[in-house]
Amino acid sequence: MSIGQSQLPTDSLKVEQGLPAAELKRPPGPWVILWKKFSHNPYAMSGLFVLLFFIIVAILAPVLTKYKPDAIDMMFPNLKPGAEGHLLGTDELGRDILTRLLYSARISLSIGFTVAFASVVVGSIVGAISGYFGGWVDTIFMRIVDVTNSVPTLFLNILVLAIFGSEVKYMILILALTSWMSIARLVRGNFLQLREMQYVEAARAIGVSNWGIIFRHLLRNASFPIIVNATLMVGGAILSESALSYLGLGIQSPATSWGLMLSNAQEFMLIDPLQAVYPGLCILLVVLAVNFIGDGIRDGLDPRQQVTKSRRRLDKWRKNYSKSGN
Amino acid sequence: MTEYLIRRVLQSVLVIFLITIVTFLLIHAAPGGPTQVMLSPGLSPEIFKQQAHNLGLDKPIYIQYIRWIGDLLQGDLGYTFKNHLAVSDLLLPRIGNTFILMGAAWLVSLIIAIPWGIYNSTKVYGLSDQSASFISYIGFAMPTFWFGILLQQWFSLKLDWFPLSDMHTRGKEGDIGDLFMHLVLPITVLALGFLVSYMKYARASMLEVLDQDYIRTARAKGVKERKVIFHHALRNALIPIITVLGMDLPILVGGAALTESVFNWPGMGRLYVQMATQREYSVLMAITIVTAVMVVLGNLLADILYAVVDPRVKLSKQGGKAA
Repeated sequence: MSIGQSQLPTDSLKVEQGLPAAELKRPPGPWVILWKKFSHNPYAMSGLFVLLFFIIVAILAPVLTKYKPDAIDMMFPNLKPGAEGHLLGTDELGRDILTRLLYSARISLSIGFTVAFASVVVGSIVGAISGYFGGWVDTIFMRIVDVTNSVPTLFLNILVLAIFGSEVKYMILILALTSWMSIARLVRGNFLQLREMQYVEAARAIGVSNWGIIFRHLLRNASFPIIVNATLMVGGAILSESALSYLGLGIQSPATSWGLMLSNAQEFMLIDPLQAVYPGLCILLVVLAVNFIGDGIRDGLDPRQQVTKSRRRLDKWRKNYSKSGN
Repeated sequence: MTEYLIRRVLQSVLVIFLITIVTFLLIHAAPGGPTQVMLSPGLSPEIFKQQAHNLGLDKPIYIQYIRWIGDLLQGDLGYTFKNHLAVSDLLLPRIGNTFILMGAAWLVSLIIAIPWGIYNSTKVYGLSDQSASFISYIGFAMPTFWFGILLQQWFSLKLDWFPLSDMHTRGKEGDIGDLFMHLVLPITVLALGFLVSYMKYARASMLEVLDQDYIRTARAKGVKERKVIFHHALRNALIPIITVLGMDLPILVGGAALTESVFNWPGMGRLYVQMATQREYSVLMAITIVTAVMVVLGNLLADILYAVVDPRVKLSKQGGKAA
């Protein structure tokens, strides 16, 4: 009896493999569908290009500029944009602004991606355990969420950085610590639904272990919402990093970051107002790009996208109808 | 209902208790402990020990915690390390200043966001709806403090319409007109942040209600569209918005730290940042706890309000009890 059951899936697999014609007509995988929709979304694609541009520029920073980001040149402080050798001018210590923007991109982007990655790893594991098993992990997790939701995130970040010192590793740690919960909640919610699915029951019936079910079946099914959330998280982490650096608790001089540049620029606003424009514009562009990408992925995955289209049609019809009716 | 209330209150007390433990442990996890900052580094080990003893810092950590929480319950928030000022004296005026700023920004954003969101829900993908979604994309991606700096540059330094920073012009404390002029720029920054999310919620909530069967029934009956929107849909759509407002209280209390820093507004958030750079742990602890208590109370209030406003919540709770 049990032998027959365990042979069932392999049998059906053999049948499928024996039919090359069916193989040819295999429907496109989810990634292919996603890319198709994504590449037809102008916002998402422009977001992707902007982000790639910033990534490439950040990697190539030492090649693109001959200056060092912390090279002080007191002969030429506060040069206007377009001055010789300094495309965007220099700051109050004669440091080349374009160079500093490029090197800031390195810090901001790497913090953004590291935080998102760490949050995904921790959040998925905690969310999976608390959603699948429930029990004490779930209880503790929900209390952690309660506590962190009751203290403003910015306060928590500031508190930890004040206590442990403003180092990049602590900043990444605390940003990840305050952002993994959203992923964990998402995964937990997804798992609560998915674990009741019949394929889970089937997997359990053929003897797949709990961890096998979690990693091979459930996590894979929950992976797309996780990706969307993680993308948006990159933008959030970049914003938090710039805010903390602006407040003087994040990146410290002589290192450079867009937020730190802004707090410098604010002091010299009267002399050179443009200095305060560039770093903010960079943050805005990168975060906007990341958000567009995230939205693009979500729209590409969401079967309800079609519904919105039909709703648009319905609304149009409704509008015309109410016009003619009244 | 009473059972639900009691459970929620107990839950809130537990959360506040946990927060006090977490903050206390965090401070004590600081490298060198809290003593490192409060005692000048040049002291000899004997004097160092003596001072730590006087402050009760050589006792076991749970005794310290119990003493601290006992003081806290009596309203004693401790003293600053430098100058030995009472934290409560430092904090109280700041709380008021933050409330003036945040309350005003919140009201302004509500007055704009909710009608606009509702209007957009009736004309989905219209010009107004498109521009609203454009604004929210920018609003979500823009660093608030940068927006503040840009406003300062343009409206204060260039056009000289509004003062650059602070809450009062020196010598004009108590002048309402002067306070108003100082409020305009920070309110604009804060209101944009609130605006984009409230508008989104109002629109989404209305769209959900407008999709319900009873709206279709009302339309089929021939009720005028105006009456459908304001009488049938709006009342139901406002309920989820109330919860969101309650959940937003942490932002209301703590979210101003950046804006307050940009405009040098003498509020709680600015104090928090200043004290963090000076490592005044007792002030940081006090503000964290005070904020957390306000947030937990706010959430509790929102939940109760929700149960009062929406009879369905009450019914389902009673149904659950009977079953």
